[in-house]
Amino acid sequence: MKYILLMSATAAGVEGYRTRPKQDIEAHMAILHRISKDLSESGEFVATQGLVGPKEAKVVRGEKNGVPVTDGIFPEAKEFLLGYWIVDVPNPERAYAIAGRISAASSNIPIEVRQFATYESASR
Amino acid sequence: MKYILMMTGKKSDFDKYAEWSKEDLQANVAFMRAFSKELKDSGVFVSTEGLGWPSQARLVRAGKDGEPVTDGVFPESKEFLAGYWIIDVESPEQAYKIAARVSQAPGARAQPANMPIEVRPVLSGHADLGL
Repeated sequence: MKYILLMSATAAGVEGYRTRPKQDIEAHMAILHRISKDLSESGEFVATQGLVGPKEAKVVRGEKNGVPVTDGIFPEAKEFLLGYWIVDVPNPERAYAIAGRISAASSNIPIEVRQFATYESASR
Repeated sequence: MKYILMMTGKKSDFDKYAEWSKEDLQANVAFMRAFSKELKDSGVFVSTEGLGWPSQARLVRAGKDGEPVTDGVFPESKEFLAGYWIIDVESPEQAYKIAARVSQAPGARAQPANMPIEVRPVLSGHADLGL
């Protein structure tokens, strides 16, 4: 079963993180690298990706003629995706355990865990 | 430059989606498949995934002993990721154009849904964070 672990934060949360001492951020990145390495070794790793900060986010809608309309204004409460891990595990409990480890390494930030859709579940 | 196109919706949006007619759902799925094929044919496709329903989402924090503490209660305003595409394109404008195309995927009663699509560059490495 494939699960995605989503790490999100508000723009204010991201700014707070950026003001931390460089050593703290490097130590955090080192733990995240270690977790990815452990997942690769246990055969549970599928993919991971980090995203660029909220300042570069745009929301796009298509107009009738297909021309993109972009907007970069978001409510303060908006939670931006910071990054994700995709894992292939035997049960949800294992996905929660991995998410718990990432959370513990990241100042207890909550990690959203979701299973991937299948065509069967999409048409239910 | 790699960009992620994210489609999100509140639980109420997902509930509406579940009420679409079978024909509308099929038209939407057909559009999404054709869209992914177009991305592959034009050489910009990196990956795509669709996520399960919000009712299956859990929020996980580590407890004091490192054990996972799960929570499945979210505020009504919570935006859930429905799915994403990662594309490799020459410019942000190209990414916006592709996002606008998927925004026009057919919705209820075969009308373009005009869903907002969030577009963000993805990191090639942590150095991109500028920390």
